[in-house]
Amino acid sequence: MSDDGPMATAARPTAELSLLVDAGSAWTKASVVGRTRGRWRIVAHAAQPSAWDESVLIRALVDRMREAVDQRLRDEAVDLIAAAPRISCHTPFRPGRLAIAAVTGELSGAAARHAAESAGWLVVETAAADDGRPLPERLSALTSAEVDGWLIVGGFDDARPEQAIEAAAIIAAARGGGRSPVIWAGSTLLADEVCALFDPGVVTTVANPRPSADEEDAAPLRHHLEELLDRLVESGGTRNLAPIGFRRTIAEIARQEGLRVGAVDLGARYATWVAADGTGHEVIVESRVFAAGGLGAPSLATASSIGRLARTMPIAIDELAVADTLQNMRSRPGTIPYSDEELAVTLAAARARLTALAEQRGSEPVDLLIGAGRIFAAAPTPMQAMRLMLEGLRPPGVTQLAIDAAGALPPLGSLPDDQIAEGIGVLRDDLLVPLGTTVVTRGGRTAQVAIRARLHRTGWPEPAPVEVRYGQVVVLPLPRGEVAELELELEGGAVLPAGRRAHKARVTVSGGTVGLVLDARDVPLHLPRRVDDRRQVLAGWREILLREPVQAAPVEVPTARQPGAAQRILRLAGLGDRAARTAADAGGDSARASNEEAEQAEPDDARDGR
Amino acid sequence: MSGATDTRRLDVGPAVHRIPLPRGSVPHVRTGSVVQPDQVLASRRTIGEPIRLPLAGPLARSAAEAGELVLVRPGARLEPDEPIARAPDGREVRAPGHAIFLAYSKTDGAALLVTLGAESQVIGHVSGTVLQVTRSHISVAVPGARLEGVGGVGDAVHGELVVAVHSNDEELRAGAIDVSAAGKIVIGGSRASAETLTRARAMGVAGIVLGGILDKELRDFAAIQRRRREIGGLTGSFAVVLLEGYGKVALDAQLFAWLRAHAGHTASLFGSTCTMPGRPRPARRSPRWATVSSSTAGRSRDAAGCWWACSTSSTRRRPGLRR
Repeated sequence: MSDDGPMATAARPTAELSLLVDAGSAWTKASVVGRTRGRWRIVAHAAQPSAWDESVLIRALVDRMREAVDQRLRDEAVDLIAAAPRISCHTPFRPGRLAIAAVTGELSGAAARHAAESAGWLVVETAAADDGRPLPERLSALTSAEVDGWLIVGGFDDARPEQAIEAAAIIAAARGGGRSPVIWAGSTLLADEVCALFDPGVVTTVANPRPSADEEDAAPLRHHLEELLDRLVESGGTRNLAPIGFRRTIAEIARQEGLRVGAVDLGARYATWVAADGTGHEVIVESRVFAAGGLGAPSLATASSIGRLARTMPIAIDELAVADTLQNMRSRPGTIPYSDEELAVTLAAARARLTALAEQRGSEPVDLLIGAGRIFAAAPTPMQAMRLMLEGLRPPGVTQLAIDAAGALPPLGSLPDDQIAEGIGVLRDDLLVPLGTTVVTRGGRTAQVAIRARLHRTGWPEPAPVEVRYGQVVVLPLPRGEVAELELELEGGAVLPAGRRAHKARVTVSGGTVGLVLDARDVPLHLPRRVDDRRQVLAGWREILLREPVQAAPVEVPTARQPGAAQRILRLAGLGDRAARTAADAGGDSARASNEEAEQAEPDDARDGR
Repeated sequence: MSGATDTRRLDVGPAVHRIPLPRGSVPHVRTGSVVQPDQVLASRRTIGEPIRLPLAGPLARSAAEAGELVLVRPGARLEPDEPIARAPDGREVRAPGHAIFLAYSKTDGAALLVTLGAESQVIGHVSGTVLQVTRSHISVAVPGARLEGVGGVGDAVHGELVVAVHSNDEELRAGAIDVSAAGKIVIGGSRASAETLTRARAMGVAGIVLGGILDKELRDFAAIQRRRREIGGLTGSFAVVLLEGYGKVALDAQLFAWLRAHAGHTASLFGSTCTMPGRPRPARRSPRWATVSSSTAGRSRDAAGCWWACSTSSTRRRPGLRR
């Protein structure tokens, strides 16, 4: 947004700006994308509670770019930002609400509920024939429910249970006409009978998520529910929805870099998980959207959840205080913790939500794991953000970790298909803040060495091996932008996930604001049963992980030979075909020129503050 | 959590309150009607006991054959004496009363019906003018101030506003509540114990407004009420609304002064079931504290002015930055 060239002093400076805006349920994030030294960069970003006025956010953005902006434009900066074209997305205005009638709560009911919740629906009522409630009570509950759609499930595909027809009849009675859609996802033999209970066109038949006792396939039901949600709740187009935009951006990153990318966006209400595999010819993308999966999830404030959180915190906090903090977090999600206790509760709640997400997605290894949402972006230190991802998601194997500090990924995904790639291309150095690399092993034997590692850094003397025992975690310094070779020896029964089961491995790792973390604490985390022991172990891990953050050491190799910071994290040599190719090309003249320019153009505070 | 980003708002002036209607309700008001807080806006029949009504025997058919003779679809609402099944020879089985036909079993030749009991009434608990009547809700324009809380439990109630504490940070003690508070909305201070709430409930208090309360105590109180309701020993409605947060939190001094200035006015509380989507996109932040509009100045119980408070559990402000 500054002028270039010899005529700069005489000509009126111009500003080319645009805004990336993600209006979340609790926080609104905005990034100013400006043209500086011939390149598009994120020159400032800010976030504020969504309840606040837009002008406050604009003033915050102007303050942050005060040093970078051309002096002649300072007085106009507010107007320029206010008038700048916006690429925006938002959290769905309201979640789709669904009522479920099922034959059994544990089988068909549970399968339907999981499918609906992972498709972004809010299940407001589930009535199962075996849920212990008498029929009038179930009918009364369904009649009182305010819903956008109805889902009936029950019966294996080769059976005709009368309870399934009864469930459909209860829905027919509770629904009482109207236009709300009904989905039948039960026994195929009963489809016609169920359709006959409703007006023509009301019922849609979808494949049974529990076709037999030992089989469960909820994918067709989930996809149908996703489409229905898009049609019903956001009929104006789904591209501007943050969960959709987030998925599209992650898919494009995976495609461009040829990586397996996992990403989590943890918000106040919504939680989105995306897995994109870009190692093949076509990108395979899978995502789950949980309308009540965020930090304000009601499930966090139940008595059992409160007790569980209180028991898994490294400091002793009264359960009553935990409960009050969780309730305040739920009712005022735009607030920030102001004491150590509140911070501990907030982080524990976030970890619990991430663990729940990890249980949904399984433990497939990925090359790059991205954390998005204010809980990561506003973490007190980069290590806190990494610790959340590490202990909440437990990414097995060798994984690069990064965060979306500016909240720019979801709005980028609201662009048309062809422009997402362009957007990522021009902003790639600013999109992600690399935290470092983690090595997480499974298994191992108590008190025995699980990992023996040597980190070969260019220009450093031959390193001594680092030993990590089962249950331990070690942080090694590896500054942002530096790539090193890690030699691993696994012992004592510790293994890396499928594909890396060899006991010896040599991998390329890149640094970040935290460094390299060797984690032999198993997947999932194993904690002592006794409260005092558990607290001691948790406090020990916290102490190790939260020591002084790794200071950026000068890179001794010429920067011209290195790709940009974000490129380096994405292009892990050996972790993707395309990545390997681009890494090999990184020494070319064009790359050198662009990176020299990038290093010069990027102010230090902007780089560190991201 | 700090209160740095307060989402609570005090909106003064006519606002829209939406009263949800359970499916099957029959509205008794129309657009433009002027309604009072205790007026019945709609009614519906409660769902009663299920009954099995034999069809095959009275029709002199086998269970399978009788299934072909059923005249109504599962889910249909039946009027008294409405034919359920009819044989070609004129034999009929009729509904024993208001009921819902749920299913017919070809195993025992019986129909499963759920009887519909006495009419229950839907009361709005607000005064104002009806703006809209639909199948799912009634919208009422209320000439008063709206105050959103951060949480609460209980039903929708209304009553005269009384202040039971001397300062905004004083705890509401059980001893401060006596029989004179029956049917009223009591303004407490920084917190109240489960014992205080139980006593208030027993004294016939309509509702309590607090700055904060321990989540555990609120949860305990709700559990006690639920158990009493299950065993049938609970009558009347009661609501608790928190305005500031969970824990011991004083009411904001300005807000407390505003509440005290309006003692004697009619107020409505919506404990846990408040839905106010009457303003789908308030794009700008409203003033945190508002002065009272002239329409709320009357002290008469039936005056047009009233304020009401609700939990924010189901309301949400739209983000400010949106195009």
